[in-house]
Amino acid sequence: MSMLNLNLPALASNLVKSRTTTTATTTAQQCYIHPVVLFSILDHYLRRNDNQDRVIGTLLGVRSDDGRVVEIRSCFAVPHFETNDQVEVDMEHHRSMYALHKKASAREQIVGWYATGNKLSKYAALIQDFYSREAAPFNAVHLVMDTEMNHGELGIKCLQGAPVGAGGHPENCIFLPLAHELQYPDAELTALQAAADSSDGLVSLISDMEQLEKTIVELCSMLERVSAYVAGVCSGKTKPNNVVGKYLMDMLAVVPKVDTKQFSTLFQSHLQDILMVAYLTNLTRAQLNIADRLQRVV
Amino acid sequence: MAETGKQTKPMTALLNEDYSLSAFDTSAVPKQLLPVLDVEKVTALTTVKVDPLAILKIVKHARESYPTPVNGQLLGMEIDGVLEITNAFAVPTQLGSEEDMTNYQIEMIQCLREVNIDSSLAGWYQSTRLGDFMQQPLLDVQTGYQATPNSSSVVLIHDTSKSEQAGNLSLRAFRLSQAYQSIANEGKFTTKNLVDKGLTYGNILEELPIQIETSALAKALLSELQWPANADQELLESLQRPSSFNNKLRAKRLADRSAISDDAEASSDALDNSLSGLLPSQPTAYLSRPMCTNALDLNQSLTGAGSLSRQLEAIGELIDEHIHDANQWMYWKRGEAKENNRKQQFLQRRATSNAARLARGEKPEPELTEKELDKMFRILPEPSRLDALLNTANLELLTKGVTQSRGPALAKMFMAQGLHESA
Repeated sequence: MSMLNLNLPALASNLVKSRTTTTATTTAQQCYIHPVVLFSILDHYLRRNDNQDRVIGTLLGVRSDDGRVVEIRSCFAVPHFETNDQVEVDMEHHRSMYALHKKASAREQIVGWYATGNKLSKYAALIQDFYSREAAPFNAVHLVMDTEMNHGELGIKCLQGAPVGAGGHPENCIFLPLAHELQYPDAELTALQAAADSSDGLVSLISDMEQLEKTIVELCSMLERVSAYVAGVCSGKTKPNNVVGKYLMDMLAVVPKVDTKQFSTLFQSHLQDILMVAYLTNLTRAQLNIADRLQRVV
Repeated sequence: MAETGKQTKPMTALLNEDYSLSAFDTSAVPKQLLPVLDVEKVTALTTVKVDPLAILKIVKHARESYPTPVNGQLLGMEIDGVLEITNAFAVPTQLGSEEDMTNYQIEMIQCLREVNIDSSLAGWYQSTRLGDFMQQPLLDVQTGYQATPNSSSVVLIHDTSKSEQAGNLSLRAFRLSQAYQSIANEGKFTTKNLVDKGLTYGNILEELPIQIETSALAKALLSELQWPANADQELLESLQRPSSFNNKLRAKRLADRSAISDDAEASSDALDNSLSGLLPSQPTAYLSRPMCTNALDLNQSLTGAGSLSRQLEAIGELIDEHIHDANQWMYWKRGEAKENNRKQQFLQRRATSNAARLARGEKPEPELTEKELDKMFRILPEPSRLDALLNTANLELLTKGVTQSRGPALAKMFMAQGLHESA
């Protein structure tokens, strides 16, 4: 079992001194996170071992060519073990999981690592050093999530390490915040939305029509709120906000001006198309049913 | 079911000794796990519970390789008729040999077990493009999964394009029906068998209801994603930044949109992104902020980025195939009827001539056995009905999908009309 043994420098600093100095690392400036990563981290945290209060894992994703934009697309858990004076990361597990992931999605590379907890562990710098070498020639990104919700929120933070001081010791590292944004592709949004509709943690899937109805009801309530806001501003009760006003203007401007006559032609032709398609597909289904039944009679 | 197997092995030994569960201290077992102890009992699956993590993994995998269909494994456990799927992993498509595939899966499951992820297979998932997933390979794979009588494996079908267009997750869980399994075991898909076992194109697969089970932590994450704590400020900042993500997205969407669809989409997008947060007097409303407004997208439901025409094309092809199948079957049926007719005529002739011989006091000709008759008249065996059955099933799936998508399309049309009139 090959384990990466990272000791606190005071005890065995000679172990980590063999590090290759990565001087020419490019620092990332923007980081996009896919929601599946966050759910994986939570799941990993929920499935942690007894007496373990922190979990870590490897982040996979893609980088732009110059390494300034990082997109974290997936992640996997890595077992690790912390005591007061040393930390062990199961490197073999990390390597084999990475190899397996590589087979399924070849484009994703190691971009960094994640950890849970509301503050950085004392070994963060050592682990960061390890992952920076894995992610070379780029700097590793560190994602932190406060799964204990100490401040009433999950506090998702992206950090990256920067070396401090002379000599380039791995334990000399400060973590600088990194701008991050969540990225929701349309397909994932539908999944998140379906999961978010639950009130007691359990929800059944609904049909497209019900979904549309819900969205329309929500849209109506939003319209009402906007109207109330506008009415409030007009009557002087609410303090006007220029930015909001400008945004409203922009929004109204994108509503296309369509000639009533043209609109009704468009409307009619689309309506006919829809009805025609519905009629034909229903007819086909009726035919199928009849054919099936006749065959049974023969 | 590696895990349950491990747990229950010593238990069966106990059961054999005492013929009861009393020898085993059941008090140590959590109550909801008690039904699992009964190894012999075969419980029919009633529901499939899926963790959002598994769904997101499936969705991501399907989206990244769209339009190529992908598949992968589901991990989880069945408890008392409810299959809980907690994780999933992708299976690479380019793996050549069967052996590579098995090795990959075994390795993956071993690795996942090390970090306490459920290591028992709960089935598999497959993505589809048009919705015509009823194919021979799918049935074959699922037959393999359901080979043991108490296996609770399901296949989840996810449709990426439909999810994106309708703004509503399209995920369905299926199992092979009893009728299909019993006929498939015999391997004879004849009309007689189909009627006897009651198999129609509609009940090859049984659909199971899906529920999404969200853990408390995941729920916290979801509500944070829907409305982050410092959202008001972020919102104002993003409005001031001209190149913000939202605006870029909106501009991109507007650019490739036909005139008629703009009103519905633009208003919903803009409202959703901006103004719901500006009225802090109604904090509960934040949570109801829709995450996905695609359901309102008129353009997609009318033309579906060309997917409706593709679907109609596919329907056309399937209808052609259906007619071809029907003709073939009719041809066989006619041939069969002809031969049967000849056989009956021959038997009748033989019977009358024998009666005449008897009347004349001659010795009658010997009765022919079935075998000899079969040799004289070649009645062809019925061609397998499976292909025709699957074809019909696909046709049904496609037409049903198209019909169902027309309802929301109509609703959106009239919404656009209402907006136009009031504007």
